[in-house]
Amino acid sequence: MGNFVELVRNENMKIYSRLRTWIMMGIMLVVMLAASIVVLSIGDEVKSMWTILLNEVMAGTSLVAIFTVIVAADSVAGEFSSGTIKLLLIRPWSRSKILLSKYVSLLQFALFFLAVLFVWTYIWNGVFFGFSSGSLQELTNEQSTGSVWGYVLSGLGLQYVSMVLTTITISFLLSTVFRSGGLSIGLSLFLMFMSDTLAGLMSLIDKPWKDYFWFMQSNLTQYLNNAPDVTHDRTILFSLSVLIVYYIVFMFITWWQFTRRDITS
Amino acid sequence: MSEPIVQLSNVTKRIGNRTIIDHLTLDLHPGEVYGFLGPNGSGKTTTIRMMVGLMKLTEGQITIKGHSITNSFEKAIRQVGAIVENPEMYKYMSGYKNLIHYARMVPGITRQRIDEVVKLVGLQGRIHDKVKTYSLGMRQRLGVAQAIMHKPSLLILDEPTNGLDPVGIRELRDYLRHLAKSEGITVFVSSHLLTEMELMCDRVAIIQNGKLIDERVIHQDGPAKDAVSRYRFEVDRPAEALELLAQHSAVVTQDGIELDTDRETAAWINAQLVSAGIKVYGFRLHLKTLEEQFLEVTGGETVG
Repeated sequence: MGNFVELVRNENMKIYSRLRTWIMMGIMLVVMLAASIVVLSIGDEVKSMWTILLNEVMAGTSLVAIFTVIVAADSVAGEFSSGTIKLLLIRPWSRSKILLSKYVSLLQFALFFLAVLFVWTYIWNGVFFGFSSGSLQELTNEQSTGSVWGYVLSGLGLQYVSMVLTTITISFLLSTVFRSGGLSIGLSLFLMFMSDTLAGLMSLIDKPWKDYFWFMQSNLTQYLNNAPDVTHDRTILFSLSVLIVYYIVFMFITWWQFTRRDITS
Repeated sequence: MSEPIVQLSNVTKRIGNRTIIDHLTLDLHPGEVYGFLGPNGSGKTTTIRMMVGLMKLTEGQITIKGHSITNSFEKAIRQVGAIVENPEMYKYMSGYKNLIHYARMVPGITRQRIDEVVKLVGLQGRIHDKVKTYSLGMRQRLGVAQAIMHKPSLLILDEPTNGLDPVGIRELRDYLRHLAKSEGITVFVSSHLLTEMELMCDRVAIIQNGKLIDERVIHQDGPAKDAVSRYRFEVDRPAEALELLAQHSAVVTQDGIELDTDRETAAWINAQLVSAGIKVYGFRLHLKTLEEQFLEVTGGETVG
C-alpha cells in the first residue's frame, strides 16, 4: 500500500522547510569561504588548491557531522515533543517503515551536505589558487602516484561511512529512546566529542580488547591509501566488522523501541 | 440495525498494576454520531489511542470494518481519520504543506481533494501561511481537514470543539451530522461539553474509571408520547397535593411537586388537583439534560 518514496519525500520536506537547516548550510559555506580567504590574505606559498581543499574538507566533515547529529537527534524526538507523532503514526504505514523513511532522509542529509561542501570548496579554492589537477605527492608527502580526485573523494567516502555507522546511528538511537530533542542532541554531541578523547586514552592501554570499542575504530581515514602518519596495526576490514556489529545492535534497539512502545506524548 | 463498523470487545489496558481501561465493550454503527463521555482521567483518551493503534491493548480486541487494529493495522487504520487530543501540526510549515504531508501517506488523494477539504473547513484564505501563525480554532479546522481528507469510514475526534468559537462549534456540529447522515461516516467524539454532545450525538457512552457505566440513545425529537417522564406541577399547596397523589410517589420541590408519569396520566392528575381546589399555576415536562444524567451516573464527580 502506497509508495515508500513518498514517505522519504515527507521527511525531506520537514528537514528542508526548517530555517535551521539553511542556517547550518550558511554557516558551513561561510566558514569554508573564510578559511580560503584567510589563507589567501596571509599570502604564503600555496602548492596548489588541493592542499587547502583537503584541509577544509576534513574540517568541514566534522561540521557536517555536528549538523547531522542535530537533525538526527531531533528526527524522532521532535515528533514526540511537538505531538505530531500521533498524527504521523495513524496512517496506513507500519511503524518500521516510518522509522526507515526518517533514517533514509538522514543519510541523504549527510550526503547532500558533504556534496555541497566538496563542490563549494572546489570552486572557491580553484578561483583563489587556480584550478589544477594537482599531484598526490603534495598531499601525502610521499612518493606516490595516483589521482588526487580519487584520494580526496575516497577520504570523503570513508568519513561518510564512519558517520553513518556511528554518529548518525547513535543520535538516531538516542532520539528514539529518550524521545526528547534536547537530551538526545546534547548526549549525541557529547559522545561524538568524547569519542576522540576516549580513543586517545584507550590507546594507552596495552590490552587486545581495547580494539573492540566502536570509538577506537570510527576513524576510517587512517586507512586512506598513502595516508601520512600511518600507525594502524589493523586492517580496514577489522574496523568495519567491529563497527558493523555495533551498528546492527544500535539499529535493532532503535527499531525495537520505536515499534514496541506506546505513544503517550 | 446494520452490522457494526467498529467493535471494541473486552478492551482492557493495564499499565503496571493500574487498570486504566477495564473490559470495555462498544459497538458503533455506520452513520451514527457516537459520544464518549467521562470525567477527566476516566480513560477516554486512552481508549482513543488504542482505537488508532498508538497504544497496545493488554486484552481484548478492536476491529474496524472487520480488520483488527492489532493484527492488520494498515488495513484497519486506512478506514480511520482522527485527531488525538490537540491537533498538533508541523508549525514551521504552511497549512497546505501539512496537508500535502498527510496526503502523500494515503494513495489516491489528489490536489483537487486537498483544495476541496480546505474550502470545506473554511481555511482558503490562510492555508499558505505557516501553522505557527494560526489560532487554536484554525488549527482545529486544519486537524479536521487532515482527518477527513482520505474519506474515512470512521472519524475519531477527541474534544473537537476545544478552542472553537460558538459559530465554529455550530458549523462543526452541522458538518459532523451531515457527514454521518449523508455519507454514512461513523463519527466518534469525546467531549466534556455535555450540552454539545446532546445536540450532536445519536448515542452516548459514559465511562468512569475505565469502565462503561452507561450507554444511551439520545432522542433528537424528544421522548415518545407514552414514555414515562418527570413532570413538575407548580401548585399553591404542595403538601395537600402530595397527600392527594399518595399512590404516585410524588416529591415536594421548591414551588410545587414532581413525579414520574406519562402524558395522559399527567393531564388526569392536573384535573384531579384542580377539582380538589388546589391552584395549579402550571405543569410541565421536565427533561433531564445529559448533564444531569451524567452527574447522576458518575456520582457527581466534577467534569472538566
